[in-house]
Amino acid sequence: MKRTVKRTAKGAARRTARRTARVKRKSAANLTRLRTKSGAAKKAAAKKPAPRDAIDVLVEAGAQALDLPFDPAWHAGIKFNLQLILRHAALVDEFPMPDDAEPAPVYHA
Amino acid sequence: MLDMPTSDPPLVTAADIAAAVVSGRASAATIIDGALARIRGRDPLLNSFTAVTEERARKRAQAVDAARARGAPLGPLAGVPFAVKNLFDVAGLPTLAGSKINRGNPPADRDAALIERLEGAGAILIGALNMGEYAYDFTGENVHDGPSRNPHDINRMSGGSSGGSGSAVGGALVPIALGSDTNGSIRVPSSLCGIFGLKPTYGRLSRARTFPFVASLDHLGPLARTARDLALAYDAMQGFDADDPVCADRPVEPVVPLLEQGADGLRIAVVGGYFKCKSGEVCYAIDRIASALGANRDIELPQAERARSAAFIITATEGASLHLDRLRKRAEDYDPAVRDRLLAGALAPASLVVKAQKFRRWYRDEVLKLFNEVDAILAPATPCTAPLLGQQTFTHGDAELPVRANLGLYTQPISFIGLPVVVVPVPAAPLPIGVQIITAPWREDIALRLAHVLELKGAAAAMPPPA
Repeated sequence: MKRTVKRTAKGAARRTARRTARVKRKSAANLTRLRTKSGAAKKAAAKKPAPRDAIDVLVEAGAQALDLPFDPAWHAGIKFNLQLILRHAALVDEFPMPDDAEPAPVYHA
Repeated sequence: MLDMPTSDPPLVTAADIAAAVVSGRASAATIIDGALARIRGRDPLLNSFTAVTEERARKRAQAVDAARARGAPLGPLAGVPFAVKNLFDVAGLPTLAGSKINRGNPPADRDAALIERLEGAGAILIGALNMGEYAYDFTGENVHDGPSRNPHDINRMSGGSSGGSGSAVGGALVPIALGSDTNGSIRVPSSLCGIFGLKPTYGRLSRARTFPFVASLDHLGPLARTARDLALAYDAMQGFDADDPVCADRPVEPVVPLLEQGADGLRIAVVGGYFKCKSGEVCYAIDRIASALGANRDIELPQAERARSAAFIITATEGASLHLDRLRKRAEDYDPAVRDRLLAGALAPASLVVKAQKFRRWYRDEVLKLFNEVDAILAPATPCTAPLLGQQTFTHGDAELPVRANLGLYTQPISFIGLPVVVVPVPAAPLPIGVQIITAPWREDIALRLAHVLELKGAAAAMPPPA
């Protein structure tokens, strides 16, 4: 029990440190953007940001829950790849299989 | 196009090298001198090597020559230089697996099992080869080491992830290289670089002391310039190895003695449906190989597209699982494209992965039934010839597809269930392209026999790199 509490506390500290670092990075990135914005970029920035969807939430919450590093700059790349995986998964998911179908985690020829 | 220096000695096949060394017409030391000269002359353009083990190779060559001088028997690969994808352990070198992160690892203290077996047959390791980071790649590009380049046009991709292996053999630096194939990483570079490649049955060749990617899909195998060289290397590497938990306990089944048996009596089909060619060069290659083999049947692999999707999911999630700790500690040190794919894989729900595993068993059972009707199946190896370096998309029928994820769309449904495949190169202008010969589990002999037949008929051949 003690060990569990210790690990959780450690994890929380790590998460807090990461959040602080993230905020710092974000501020620095925003600052850079403010300094270098072109006309087109300014127009784009004036537009409303795209609404967040379930994948956006999954990417951020999943990374946090699994204690994975996450930089906002990586968001689009991770989201693109997760969407791709889920599209492939949907194709498999829709294939009917009986309840007693056995998985093949290690293939035997 | 490639403009290579031509003053260095030309490459000959592994079979010819071994015959010359055994008969005394050439010394192993001379052979290694020639290989080193070719690497010095051409590899600055190809960028296929990440390490050249010159001192080790020279010592080994001396040992082969000394053995001959005292009348000791020499192996079937006596004096043959070879190189390995840098995910193979090479004693004294850190095992990079194409990454920046692994550069800080201690050097390996023992060679990978397959290196030991090739050297046991007299071959001589001459270096380690460039590859896509952690083998999650079909392009041969690498942000840390630069891309390995296509030997037929250095502005184009070698294919990945065994890009350096394809480039070094296609560029005639070495007669044999070893690679790994999880979803197509031997077959894609073989196709794009115009050489022969063998992905054996899952569990046939030991993977001991190599850096993994997706344990349930990882295979190792050789790339070469002739079917005979492929068979020589394959025969030397067969055999059970308790150090690889999935290596099958089967007897060695040598293929070299069977190569001349020809294609008579073999039932050969061309696979359609998902695999139907959608571009001129792919259709030309399939027609040429089918016609040379008299393949007059059509066949379909049931649910092949779904199989590819299931392989995609298993790869993304098993790969992510392997890298979870490294991602937590060193995410900034990955190739961003690989990091994003791995992080996405870490977030995919397990329920979908188990579905993919269940589908895998169903698909395997259905495909194995086809081998009651046919002995070999022909399919394209890649959907296009080598794309330009940095190219993001290619045209596939009516669709524009991302290169990085889709160069293996014809290879993934096959390795997904571990079937053996030989890729044969179809020479074409301006670029070669490969065709897969797929057989039932443990029937590498049939695929290699057919590859040899195609070579004898002139339908398949490794084109020399441009002078």
